[in-house]
Amino acid sequence: MTAGVVPSTAYDDLPYTRGGAVDRADVGALVQSAVDGDAAAWKALVEGLSPLVWSVVRAHRLSDADAHEVYQTVWFRFAQHLGRIREPDKAKSWLASTARHECLKVLKSLRRLTVTDDPQLLDRISEDRTPEQSFIDSEEAAAQSERVRHLWQEFEELGERCRQLLRILMASPKPGYQEVSAALGIAVGSIGPLRQRCLRRLRARLEARGAV
Amino acid sequence: MSDMNDDLDDVFEEEALPDEEFALELLEEELRRATAILDPVPPALRQIAVEAFALHDLDSRIAELAFDSVVDALPVRGATGAPRMLTFHAGEVTIDVELTPQGLMGQVLPPQSARIEVLSGPQAGSPLATDDMGRFTYEASPAGPFALRLRTGEGVIVTDWLTV
Repeated sequence: MTAGVVPSTAYDDLPYTRGGAVDRADVGALVQSAVDGDAAAWKALVEGLSPLVWSVVRAHRLSDADAHEVYQTVWFRFAQHLGRIREPDKAKSWLASTARHECLKVLKSLRRLTVTDDPQLLDRISEDRTPEQSFIDSEEAAAQSERVRHLWQEFEELGERCRQLLRILMASPKPGYQEVSAALGIAVGSIGPLRQRCLRRLRARLEARGAV
Repeated sequence: MSDMNDDLDDVFEEEALPDEEFALELLEEELRRATAILDPVPPALRQIAVEAFALHDLDSRIAELAFDSVVDALPVRGATGAPRMLTFHAGEVTIDVELTPQGLMGQVLPPQSARIEVLSGPQAGSPLATDDMGRFTYEASPAGPFALRLRTGEGVIVTDWLTV
């Protein structure tokens, strides 16, 4: 995250409020500034909300190529619809729901189903490393403690529903339940109990391998 | 997604005790950090999203996607090469598009000539022109984000973005 482009980039520093009034109003204000032509406000929106969009896309297990394309489509659509979104303060839910629908469409397309037969495998092979990515990779290599790797492995092996929910909750900053609901098409009320259940499962798995 | 509900039966299990909830929150936070390391937003993608601000254009009209055969038509088993049919509406103007592995063809209705760009991002797209009947063809198959920008006698129309 870059800091200090505009005062509103302080977005990331806001406490998590489960989609509460504070950061929603903040997003609404950024959207309004962007509608009026403020490129810095747009950039702050991209910086602040990219992890949410990326998490929704990743949660749907597309191939890397498809994930990259859907992420772009979502932002292109958002830019295009910017001045026409009826409730700017709900832009996060708009993005989450748009990302979800676009993912489902891509998964539904028969041509792509054959291509993304084994997204996990494709991800490893088709990765097109940019220089930035390689740099991050080397940083990653250093940062990848045993613990992080174990955690990630166990997470990947959770059931599909848990993996999907947690992948979205892992966006930074943590998304509110309204956004999670939009991202998964499930009722807000079911998210809390499901989250608890999934985290318990993950913890049990970690305990089983003696990693806690 | 149809299995989305079957796991919810025992969702009303006992509430986590404060100690447990604290442990689960720690675990969730740890996952969030792991994600930031192992699966961050690719910086090049983020940059594309920043540049997408150029697509913000209140002077053009949006032609909304009204029909997409991927969603609105029953799939035909084995028909992987079937063209994808798209219909966009902007007021009285309709744009029909047919996408095949060979390229795209389409028509602006009511029939009228227009200059068209095939967009794949914020940068200028490949230019096309329709014939007098509003028909157009493009010899390359779009892949990835896709939209059409049309310059008609009545102004600029841009179709909804979608992934092809």
